[in-house]
Amino acid sequence: MKIIKSRGPEIFDIELEKDLLAKNRSLAKENRKRFDDSKILAIDIMGSIGSGKTSLIKAILKNIAIGERAAVIAGDLTTTIDARRIEGEGARVIQVNTGKECHLDANLIRKSVKSLKLDGVKVLFIENVGNLICPGEFPLGAHKRLVVVSVTEGPYTVMKHPYIFKEADVIALNKIDLARAMKVSPSQLESDAREVNPDAPFIKINALKGTGIPRVIHALGLKSLL
Amino acid sequence: MHEALCQSAIPMHEYSISSEIVKTVLGAAAENETRKVLSVQLEIGELALLNAEQVSFWIHELFKGTIAEGSKVKIKKVRARIRCGSCGYHGGMKSDRADSFQHLVPQSCPKCGSFQIKIEKGRECFLRRIQAVK
Repeated sequence: MKIIKSRGPEIFDIELEKDLLAKNRSLAKENRKRFDDSKILAIDIMGSIGSGKTSLIKAILKNIAIGERAAVIAGDLTTTIDARRIEGEGARVIQVNTGKECHLDANLIRKSVKSLKLDGVKVLFIENVGNLICPGEFPLGAHKRLVVVSVTEGPYTVMKHPYIFKEADVIALNKIDLARAMKVSPSQLESDAREVNPDAPFIKINALKGTGIPRVIHALGLKSLL
Repeated sequence: MHEALCQSAIPMHEYSISSEIVKTVLGAAAENETRKVLSVQLEIGELALLNAEQVSFWIHELFKGTIAEGSKVKIKKVRARIRCGSCGYHGGMKSDRADSFQHLVPQSCPKCGSFQIKIEKGRECFLRRIQAVK
């Protein structure tokens, strides 16, 4: 900070040149380094409220069955419902309540990681707050970002929220068994996703039944850890 | 057993960014022993997920009761710049389609259509300077 010039006897310009989003990005880099140093694969799971983020994490944990070598940071506004659901699969879980904030940020992840014992952990799932807008602006330091979208959100979710789909490394379309009842075309959602993100694998799943879960595991690069 | 970490805040990330701006402005004003803050200059990239009107609203609200109350909040929009890794195009984004995602997420090079593009500018939120009275 410096005072650059006087505009008359009393008025001054104070140069601040502060990038408000930079702090989160630098903390995200520190988180990434921490994960790399501990050889942990960190995965940020994003999606709407009710899209099936927790169910997907549970389904993956059930499939890979590595117990406490998997850890989960469950982000939510105020409840511990998700943490309790995930605990049943044997992973280490920490619930992060954001109060009223609409997204997790790198600082909250830094704090959570401190309170979570990570020795022996191979993979860390970070379940973001249910929201398709704000988490896109706040990287957490995860190696991969997965977006879950479900057919029950209707046919326009991808078109309305292109940003978060652009950021994704993997896109999972959940509740595929309900597509016909919802009159939603999975192939249309896939082509909407391809338009903003031609590279991310688009995988149709039914998290409750386990359909498509092996493909998600493969796309996240989890196989090499097992 | 799981543990819980709590963080209290108010919804929308415009609020968190605005609080950070207000904290920085009041800190700098105090450090320089100013009596009143007259204006605040911000730059927000057109691709940043921040609504300038909401940011301005929250800053005005949070300034109330401080030496910055009533100060002008000037927000300059920063145009996005992209660089194409295939054809070398360097410049702004443009699209012929009215319903295109291009305004929010530039997905391909406007010249050659390649997806190998890098956003160089347009995602920032800068607090440039404040004007204050000694």
